[in-house]
Amino acid sequence: MSDGKRRAVVIEGVRTPFVKAFSEFLKLDAIALGDAAVAALLRRTEVSRNEIDGIVWGGVILPGLAPNVAREIALDLKLPARVEGHTVTRACASGLQAITSAVSAIERGDADVMIAGGADSTSNAEIKLPQKVVHALAPLAFGKATPKDMLGVLSQLVPITEVLPKMPKIAERTTGQVMGEAAEEMARRNEVSRAEQDEFAVRSHHRAAAGIASGRLRKEVAAVETPDGRTVTADTLVRADTSVEALAKLRPVFAKDGTLTAGNSSPLTDGAAAVLLMSEEKARALGYRPRAAFRSWSYVGVDPADQLLMGPAIAMPKALDRAGMSLRDIDVIDMHEAFAAQVLAVLKMLGSAAFARARLGRDQAVGEVDPAKLNLYGGSVALGHPFGATGARMVTTVANELSDGDKQTALLGICAAGGLGAGAVMERVG
Amino acid sequence: MTDFLLELGKNPTARKLIKTVGLPVPMPQSLRRAKGPAEERPLHDRDVVYGAAPEGVMATVLASTLARAGADVHLLGGGAALQQPFVEPGQAYGRPARVLDPEALPDAFKADALVFDATGLRDPEQLRALYEFFHPLGQRLGSCGRAVVIGRPASAAATPRAAATAAALEGFVRSLAKEVGKRGSTAQLLVVAEGAEARVEPVLRFLLSPRSAFISGQPVFVDARVAWPEQVPFIRPLEGKVALVTGAARGIGAATCELLAAEGAHVVCLDRPQDDSLVSQVARKLGGSVLLADVSDPGAPAAIADELRARHGGVDIVVHNAGITRDKTLARMKPELWDQTLDVNLVAVARITEALLQGPLREGGRIVLLSSVAGIAGNMGQTNYAASKSGIIGYTGKLAEALAGRGITVNAIAPGFIETRLTAAIPVMIREAARRLSNLGQGGLPQDVGEAITFLATPGAAGITGRVLRVCGGALVGA
Repeated sequence: MSDGKRRAVVIEGVRTPFVKAFSEFLKLDAIALGDAAVAALLRRTEVSRNEIDGIVWGGVILPGLAPNVAREIALDLKLPARVEGHTVTRACASGLQAITSAVSAIERGDADVMIAGGADSTSNAEIKLPQKVVHALAPLAFGKATPKDMLGVLSQLVPITEVLPKMPKIAERTTGQVMGEAAEEMARRNEVSRAEQDEFAVRSHHRAAAGIASGRLRKEVAAVETPDGRTVTADTLVRADTSVEALAKLRPVFAKDGTLTAGNSSPLTDGAAAVLLMSEEKARALGYRPRAAFRSWSYVGVDPADQLLMGPAIAMPKALDRAGMSLRDIDVIDMHEAFAAQVLAVLKMLGSAAFARARLGRDQAVGEVDPAKLNLYGGSVALGHPFGATGARMVTTVANELSDGDKQTALLGICAAGGLGAGAVMERVG
Repeated sequence: MTDFLLELGKNPTARKLIKTVGLPVPMPQSLRRAKGPAEERPLHDRDVVYGAAPEGVMATVLASTLARAGADVHLLGGGAALQQPFVEPGQAYGRPARVLDPEALPDAFKADALVFDATGLRDPEQLRALYEFFHPLGQRLGSCGRAVVIGRPASAAATPRAAATAAALEGFVRSLAKEVGKRGSTAQLLVVAEGAEARVEPVLRFLLSPRSAFISGQPVFVDARVAWPEQVPFIRPLEGKVALVTGAARGIGAATCELLAAEGAHVVCLDRPQDDSLVSQVARKLGGSVLLADVSDPGAPAAIADELRARHGGVDIVVHNAGITRDKTLARMKPELWDQTLDVNLVAVARITEALLQGPLREGGRIVLLSSVAGIAGNMGQTNYAASKSGIIGYTGKLAEALAGRGITVNAIAPGFIETRLTAAIPVMIREAARRLSNLGQGGLPQDVGEAITFLATPGAAGITGRVLRVCGGALVGA
């Protein structure tokens, strides 16, 4: 859009390998993973540290003692003290949120050069003590405790079942529903079969494997050295050899007669991704080639008690509207795959005129998404889903596809806990 | 004042024991009632079985109503013609309708509601469709379930045969209500005038929800006499509205104030000066205003009208709830007992309404008057009370005609046995009998009447005017 306004552009993106939770990255928390991704981005782009204005970071499971991950990364990497940082959280859309926040800052003129991204380490989720214990322990934690205080504390810690630490769980706070159960319900309500889900999942794995084999995805990944001295160079979750037959053998995990399995859901993952953004003038002045820019975005909320993960079916058309485009104008579509069932349900909604009439207030369906344009290099089902990192991973892959291929436009869609949805339209620059 | 039998029935052991020993009356089912204000999807995940007579006209409206309300629809009988209208809303809301085979119902299948479109019935011979739909589902309506039959007004039928067919639906529904009542379920007939089809949605949402817990065996008429409002919101439907409730200090009045406020209305709580502390408490709790006045005071109408105009800029909802009983058999009744009752219950209502019609009551307003089942059926020792309450019904009908052009609806509510201070004063044996003498085998709560009033006060109730809605659990007398 050359209407004379300032425009933010994507220069480069890079991420850590995505690995299964509780494996190679066990000893790296979200900050350490963020450090690794941003350090790799700095190395790769050779951007002068004095040019950086700030960091925006997205995360879902934030470290309780240092929740402003962005600032911790800046300090860890010894960036100039004036490089400020703030951390955003919007469930699984946190990574995209970090990037659109940075884009906003640049386009408003608040900044010229920003790093944005996200990280999550499920392996380092903190086990929370019940509030009852916290309150009971307060007299011991603050000030001198008398023996009487100690006794008082003990008396408050019964029955034992009420004071056991709670295991972290990806459940909706308002409905108590686990996300997989919500996706299971969406599969049932939108009539998405097990076979369709398994096929989709296999395609995701095969495309990701092909992307890695061709080097297309590998160039977005930087090796990470773990504290125990090992070096992790590649994604560990993608399975080139999986097949519909193999996935069909898996047992449903969220409901007895359900259709969602470990094979067609995104796995718990550790990882981080970072993107370098600049104002277009600054990029040209510093001699960088801009890859892509954002034309629009949209964040929406739906009732989490209804269809928790349908947000993208509202957000993506809204982003298209704001970009003044229709689905036909889009060359590349990248959707976060929380579950194959959720993507397929959203695709059905986008293709339905009835849905468009009732939920979007328009006569025509948004359109059928051509599988040949969707998730060219797989998605979260195959690659994994470190919550806060996924948005930055998608922006990186899409920006590279726009700048290195012959594609002009891209549409992103992300579903998120709490009934949130995100959509964004990106375009090639140059 | 608590219903001993109802409380006892909540204990499974006691319930079983009583069932074995046997009681002259069935154990009442504790009713499911709404908690909190109106929801976007009052039927979320509820199983609704739908059927229709051929050539029914309601399918499109009902299909979208049920899907939007969050119901899972099961289609019984019929073929592709029955399914077709459900395709679009099923897709739009992710609630595809599924076909139910009457011969092979899953063992555990219990429906939360049964809905039958009978508008296609023209001839008494076709009435068998009712039997064919409801018979296989006889034991399949879960407790506190809902059955709704939708028909056309007999008065508008083209032929005597068609009129007979339309009228037959009422007898069917009233009897069905008696049969399902012991499990806390209700049955209603929704009578839709031509041109009012699209107005059914809010009414059906109410009738299928727990908000209609104590309404049963009732024809509900929907027509197009009053203009349809521009906005018919489901959530907080009374936002921006000012409501006046008389007799607000306790019982039905207090419950109504709370429910109106929960839907977004600013409630002006009116009661007598001697009930200042009670009515103030009610108003404070819900952020409303207090208006102290004795409705029988000749100066009250002007004072109320002035106050509403000056402090609230007018009024949208008027609930005439204040009422008294002065029971005595006619031979023993002193003249002042007659006069007081008629004045407070009927003449004051007319005086205040007339004053409000001189300006304060806005276009699109809602007037709800409290009648009583006694006003329909009569009651021993209540010649005065019953006269005032059936007077209300006559007043309602005529006033509704007069105000239809201004978008204002006027309706009466006829409560049956409701657990209030009024009924707590009834001698214990009579009270116990009165409680059991309804389809649901128990008394209603002030909340039940308040829910009905609140529904009639919403914009979506524009299709109902000049009617009497009984909130009586299907009282065996007076229907």
